[in-house]
Amino acid sequence: MEKYLYITLFAPLVGSLIAAFFAAKPKELYTGILTSALVGISFLSSIVLLNYVDADTILHVKMMDWISVGNLSIPFGFVVDQVSIIMMVTVTFVSTIVHIYSIGYMEHDKSFNRFFSYLSAFVFSMLILVMSDNFIGLFIGWEGVGLCSWMLIGFWYHKQSASWAANEAFIMNRIADLGMLMGLFLIYWEIGSFQYDIVFANILNLNINTVTWIGSFLFIGAMGKSAQFPFHTWLADAMEGPTPVSALIHAATMVTAGVYLIIRASDIYFLIPDVGYVIASLGAFVAVFAASMALVNRDLKRIIAYSTLSQLGYMFVAAGLGAYWIALFHLMTHAFFKSLLFLGAGNVMHAMNDELDIKKMGGLYQSMRATAILMTIASIALAGIYPFAGFFSKDKILEVAFNHEAYLLWFALFIGAGMTAFYSFRLVMMVFFGEQVHKRLGFHPHEARPFVIYALTPLALLSIVAGFLEYSFHAFVIDLLRDYKFTLDHSVGWMLIVATTAIALSGIAFAVYKYKRGGFGAGVESLGIYKLLVNQYYIPQFYNNAILKPFAAISTFFWKQIDLKIVDATVDLIGKMFYNAGGKTRQIQSGNLSSMLRWMVAGIAVMLVLAIILRPMV
Amino acid sequence: MLEPISISLQALNLPSLLPVGILIVGAIFIIVLDLVTKSGSKSFYTMLSILFILLDLGVVIGYYGEARGMFDLVLVDGIAKISQIIVLVTSAFFLLLAMSQRRFQEFSMAEFYALFLFMIAGFQFMTISDNLILIFVGLETASLSLYTMIAMHNRKKAFEAAIKYFTMGALAAGFYTMGSLLFYALTGSIEIHEIANRVILNDNLSVVALIAATIFMIGALGFKISIVPFHTWTPDIYEGSSAALAGYMSIVPKIAGFVVAMRLFEALLNLNVLWIENMFYILVIATMTVGNITALVQEDVKRMLAYSSIAHAGFVLSAILIGTSEANSGLFLYWILFMFTNLGAFTVLWMTRHKKNLWDERYQHPFVKFKGLAKINPFMATMMAFFMFSLAGVPPLSVFWGKLYLISAAVNAGFIYLAIFMALNSAIAVYYYMKLVIFMFLMEPASEEKAIFTTNATPVLKVVLAVAVAFTIFASLFIDKILAFIIYHVTMSGF
Repeated sequence: MEKYLYITLFAPLVGSLIAAFFAAKPKELYTGILTSALVGISFLSSIVLLNYVDADTILHVKMMDWISVGNLSIPFGFVVDQVSIIMMVTVTFVSTIVHIYSIGYMEHDKSFNRFFSYLSAFVFSMLILVMSDNFIGLFIGWEGVGLCSWMLIGFWYHKQSASWAANEAFIMNRIADLGMLMGLFLIYWEIGSFQYDIVFANILNLNINTVTWIGSFLFIGAMGKSAQFPFHTWLADAMEGPTPVSALIHAATMVTAGVYLIIRASDIYFLIPDVGYVIASLGAFVAVFAASMALVNRDLKRIIAYSTLSQLGYMFVAAGLGAYWIALFHLMTHAFFKSLLFLGAGNVMHAMNDELDIKKMGGLYQSMRATAILMTIASIALAGIYPFAGFFSKDKILEVAFNHEAYLLWFALFIGAGMTAFYSFRLVMMVFFGEQVHKRLGFHPHEARPFVIYALTPLALLSIVAGFLEYSFHAFVIDLLRDYKFTLDHSVGWMLIVATTAIALSGIAFAVYKYKRGGFGAGVESLGIYKLLVNQYYIPQFYNNAILKPFAAISTFFWKQIDLKIVDATVDLIGKMFYNAGGKTRQIQSGNLSSMLRWMVAGIAVMLVLAIILRPMV
Repeated sequence: MLEPISISLQALNLPSLLPVGILIVGAIFIIVLDLVTKSGSKSFYTMLSILFILLDLGVVIGYYGEARGMFDLVLVDGIAKISQIIVLVTSAFFLLLAMSQRRFQEFSMAEFYALFLFMIAGFQFMTISDNLILIFVGLETASLSLYTMIAMHNRKKAFEAAIKYFTMGALAAGFYTMGSLLFYALTGSIEIHEIANRVILNDNLSVVALIAATIFMIGALGFKISIVPFHTWTPDIYEGSSAALAGYMSIVPKIAGFVVAMRLFEALLNLNVLWIENMFYILVIATMTVGNITALVQEDVKRMLAYSSIAHAGFVLSAILIGTSEANSGLFLYWILFMFTNLGAFTVLWMTRHKKNLWDERYQHPFVKFKGLAKINPFMATMMAFFMFSLAGVPPLSVFWGKLYLISAAVNAGFIYLAIFMALNSAIAVYYYMKLVIFMFLMEPASEEKAIFTTNATPVLKVVLAVAVAFTIFASLFIDKILAFIIYHVTMSGF
């Protein structure tokens, strides 16, 4: 079985390295096919592993001793258990589809090969992250996906906005990673190991304050990667990357790494329910906060990005309240329908020559029937309508909140569900139905290539049916994760389901009704609340004024005053000394033969004189 | 009446002269061939000469006879063997550079190849003897051939270089005879091991005279291996010669000079004359430092490499000062590694040789020529960058190991300050090597015309370049085997 583990892990790396050889070359179709095939192989072998893992058997291998210095010993090991295998299957499945999709999407890009190299490198890093059996391996994967995300957001680096967004994402994550590192140091300081099993076995012996610190620090890391408030600004800007990247990295996989960390460290968070409650509250806040921004945005991809933020909030509510398996379940279903939504948006973008403003679309159903159907399926799943996948996982989260008697959280999520339904269908209506604005603007949309559509059908299928896997999923992961006990009355549960479905349906109905008649008037845009939302609560401006500008001022001071005037001057002085000495010795070299001969004779003469003067001793 | 001299052929040990004999016969053969037929082409003569060189190399490697021969004039010991191998391998590679795209007058003349073989024979004589007269004969044979070959490049600069080199060489020859004369006057011998023995036995020896003799020898050999202040010829001569010949001069005459210096000066340093040791210390450091800091301000890559080769020579000369087996082995190791890197660097220059001085009135290869080469010809720029990094001593490229080994030899022998100077000089050197890398990679090209950088390239040159770059990059893989071979031969001959 180890064989399958290594195949799963290293197949994407091999693909990435091969594609990297052709990175600077013009497009070679086979790099796309090869990397897709290798990621596909990775997916198949993780399916084999999924069948292998059960209540009694997990796979735990130690590849090698990696760092061993003094008392520090970090083996490089991997574990395939109920949690990591779910992540592995989800990651490789979505990755395979995104790879195939990208062959079509990146068709005319001149850096086609480079794109696949990066994309496969990302899959490899993500697999390291989820498969590692210790925190250091997780951290390496964590940084690896961060690096790949940076490379892919800035893939079109010649665009100023893209390289800015890439740097923003990278720096924002670095700040949060500092928190994560502190958590790791604290773990090592207190326990003396990074291995999950050893850490979780010994965590009970620690002072509860220490555990609280560890949990908080790790959560700061998770906040960065999962773009939770206040680190959320990078995710919307990350939409500068190619759309398949947004689908894979900034929706389905990497951003869920924060949730994965909380689930993986559930033994720690179980001990500190207060921190868990904070996590849940922040999650609920983000769920509503991000959904509200999605209500008014006009940028196709940003709407979906805010929706991702909001859904991550839902996952954190579940994880924070101790319903780890539900968080993981929502993570999985969300990966399916959100990547479908993004990839559909990619088709629309291509059809519209990279135009993203949904006000300029409308009526695209005529020309892009298949994409319209796929995106509608994804939107229904996102809105949480029975029997689509989102219904099962999202409803469970609302039940958890209610069960926990956290009625405020429940209410926030409840409102969030309504908003989700509204903005999803606002998007669908404005893009695919209504007046055909694009015709007026001279666009000639066309449907994507057939194989692209076929590649998306598995995602659509799973967006519909994945919810029915709930019971087997529950039974499977519960061997590793703590179960969550519902104490709710059956009838209350039913009432919640009815209420949530009702608000979702009314959100949809409202959106359909409103946008069928051309949407809101221009008057809405002058409302204060509209301005607040469209400007993202003025948070980017706040960051710019309160953090970036003072920081830039300090940096300029250090650069101009300290570095240039003190450090550089010292270094330059030493350099100039040698350089001037060079200029002087060069004068020996006049090129004049007589003077050259004179130098030789002078050399001998001086030495002879020295020999006599210094009266040598034997 | 004189006694009839009877010598057995066995005592002459003729096989010890066989390698040199092959080259001389080969050279005469080429001249005769040229008289008989005028149709010999450039590649024919190149291949024929390389054939003789390889034959010679085979005999050198296969020689396991007596070390002494020809009335003790000849001494084929371990260091003679290693240095001959270096001379012959380097000669073969640099001779391949004659097969360039563009036609040069010297390569179309058979005399060039004959002179080339005579020159190698001269260098071999220098290495296989400890008799000052035979060494002198070898030295002059090689030098006279070399002067002529420089002049055969048929450019104004080349004539100037040949005349300068010849005149200064004459002065150095004067120093050499003066030094030999003093040694003979002091000890009655012209054989290095005898000189050392008799100095030890004779208590009434004038130390000042001994030192004077040493000084003249320093002047003479210092000219060959370009020790400061006898180095002034180097950049001008390199500038005037073709890049192929300049590269050759940076390696082969010096290794022959090093072997003689090693035989002579280590014998003298062993006498524990403090003055000689101090003088040497100063010369080594001066050579390294002056070479390096003058290289900083050069505007031409070939002149920069000339100064850099002075600095490398100073670096290696420290081995003779240290005098341990480890240091002597380090000298040969360093020179082998340096040889392949320099071969590569000069081959790149040679490939970019253009018939006009396009970039500068005076220089053929100014730094500005290489501006933005990475954009025009990334492959060539990357290769050149590898050679520059290697010369700068960046691990794991070849020259780094030589530097490491020599500096550790200095530390092991207690020459701490010398080691510090060696390290500091390596740091200074990084500046001018990186200067070229910066020109190539970080500047915008002046023109996008790719062809002008490969006007002189041929498949043969590309193969030479490939060998050089492969050796430079992968040296670490077989360095222990080379080192074991060197250490065995060096210790076998008592150095």
